[in-house]
Amino acid sequence: MIRRIMLKEFKENLRQGRFRVSLLIVSLLLLIAAWLSFSYFNSIQQQHAEAKENARNIWVSQDEKNPHSAAHYGTYAFKPKYPLSLIDHGVDKYSGISIFLEAHKRNESQFMAAADQTGLSRFGDLTPDFILLFIIPLLIILTGYNAFTRERELGTWQLLRSQGLPVWKLALGKWGGVFLPIFLLTAGLFIIAAVLLGNLQDFGQFNLAALLLMFVVYLVYYAIFVNLTLIVSAISRHSGISLVSLLLVWIVVCLAMPKASSNLADAAFPYPSRQAFASAIDEDKKLGLDGHNPWNQAAKEFERETLEKYGVDSLHKLPFNFDGYRMQKGEEHEAEVYFKHYALLKETHQQQTKVYQAATVLSPFLPTRFLSMALARTDYRTHWDFADAAEKYRLKMQEALNMDFAENSSYGNWAYRADKSLWKNIPDFSYTPPSYGTVLQRNSGNLVALAVWMFVSFFGLRYFTGKI
Amino acid sequence: MLEAINLSKSYGGHMAVSDLNLSVATGDIYCLLGANGAGKTTTINLFMGFINPTAGQVKVNGLDVASESNETKKHLAYIPENLMLYPNLTGIENLDFFCGLAGKSYDKEQLEEMLIDCGLQPEFIHTWVSQYSKGMRQKVGIALARAREASVLLLDEPTSGLDPKASNEFSELLLSMKEKGVATLMATHDLFRAKETGTHIGIMKQGELVHSLEADAITVLELEEFYLDTMTIAKPQES
Repeated sequence: MIRRIMLKEFKENLRQGRFRVSLLIVSLLLLIAAWLSFSYFNSIQQQHAEAKENARNIWVSQDEKNPHSAAHYGTYAFKPKYPLSLIDHGVDKYSGISIFLEAHKRNESQFMAAADQTGLSRFGDLTPDFILLFIIPLLIILTGYNAFTRERELGTWQLLRSQGLPVWKLALGKWGGVFLPIFLLTAGLFIIAAVLLGNLQDFGQFNLAALLLMFVVYLVYYAIFVNLTLIVSAISRHSGISLVSLLLVWIVVCLAMPKASSNLADAAFPYPSRQAFASAIDEDKKLGLDGHNPWNQAAKEFERETLEKYGVDSLHKLPFNFDGYRMQKGEEHEAEVYFKHYALLKETHQQQTKVYQAATVLSPFLPTRFLSMALARTDYRTHWDFADAAEKYRLKMQEALNMDFAENSSYGNWAYRADKSLWKNIPDFSYTPPSYGTVLQRNSGNLVALAVWMFVSFFGLRYFTGKI
Repeated sequence: MLEAINLSKSYGGHMAVSDLNLSVATGDIYCLLGANGAGKTTTINLFMGFINPTAGQVKVNGLDVASESNETKKHLAYIPENLMLYPNLTGIENLDFFCGLAGKSYDKEQLEEMLIDCGLQPEFIHTWVSQYSKGMRQKVGIALARAREASVLLLDEPTSGLDPKASNEFSELLLSMKEKGVATLMATHDLFRAKETGTHIGIMKQGELVHSLEADAITVLELEEFYLDTMTIAKPQES
């Protein structure tokens, strides 16, 4: 019976010009967005591979030189582009694609795509996630706003009720009638994405389970919107009132709440300015050992401790080059300073995340957005995870270079030249993102929020349709 | 079988139906006459379970409508004054849909035959209902009532606005259902139709059933005179 109502609703919708035109426009937009995204993905993937290869070639083809010179010469860590970013670009555009790795400094990522765009990019890009998150809910509203009001306006409600049909069954049938075209549209996009991603040359990173999970997340998001749409239609007297009310719901859920929670989070837990962040790091750096300055207090103290430890009275009598050793200790101190200040940033991020989590009570958009970005590996957490991995790599690289300098030369011998093989012996940077299990664990709050929205809205649908 | 036992319905202080006692047996067609606002539609709505009584009881085939609303609807077929169907579906699609909701399943040929039997021109069977006249929609309603094999038929001014030919066809359909033992309660303003098709005639005034007659015991002219007299005479006030 529910299936019969669902198919009737679907058939009726298909026979409405308004629905057909809307569906056609959204389908075309999705196809264009998928194509643009795929082209962008391919081009970035190619650029990434070339840049990564070039950076490695430049590193390994260095001439014989002092290891610390090589440390300052530096190299790059490139953030991989993940296949599901084809669907959700997330914050990739603003987070940068590579980090310059050098001695003494933890650099921010650079080459943000947004920096290369004109002011017109403020209007936003046509991407699949934009259509999935903003446009399809509008299509749901357009399809279902008059699901119940139309019955009353047409006068078919009494005939329907006279068939002895429980209203909740009718509501479920109508639910299916609105959800079915949305399901087919979304499934179509994800099948296209699977086919495109399956044909990528760099297929190794693609995970079909993650794609399916993302598909399910979006379906739950749409199910919530269908519930909200039918609830408003059930309690509205007229179709016009229902449509206006639902557009208000869309504005609050998809536009106002995300922006308001962002402003609220920023106001409650502000990040330090770039300048304040840099100067705080500089201040802390000065309190410890400076590898380049043998005269600073911490360096002198370290020198005294080392001489005492090895039972010698001169740095020349140490079994290694103290310059390299001090450089390494200076690096370790700077790393601790960076770790401390980045931990503070992460703590602020955690506090801001709690504000967003609280806002999920008012908007199912937020948990969906966060889950989608996390599964696409285009969220800030993945970016920070990458930045941390790059920092770990930088420290290991510095250690290898400093220790080579310390162990293969004598104190004061800055003319020492390391063999070219040293550059090759330092492995290339490779980054493995957190597993999907970890991603889901980290996003358990968002999963719970989405599930609660789903059940509460279903309960609401049952309750309000029972009152018709 | 339909029964109203001491049935009352009030809206605020206004008694729409007052202490109504009525019984429609199998194969009977009970026609309710009365001016606008007399309580005919309220009575039909009470039998349908669309509204709950303030007092008294309504029964369909022995089942209490208030407590077993969905169950009683399985025995009922309902045709309102202006039967509305889904305009973007064809007549046969509408019939198929509503039959399905009532748990009845027919193939395409059977549905076509039912519509034709009820007088719908074959060329309109597969036409969208948005192009149907009121009479054509009422015929789909009758086809639905027959397809549902309902034992009770509730009609709320079904011939209102129909041309005489369509109205006559409608009456013939009612009589054919009567032969099959269907109990019918019909609210109408059409005295002639009530006399021709009804087995019993009730006259309602200000929520009360003031007269109940055997249709065979009166001529159309007598009915008209009786009806006008009833409408003219003020309802006796309770002391």
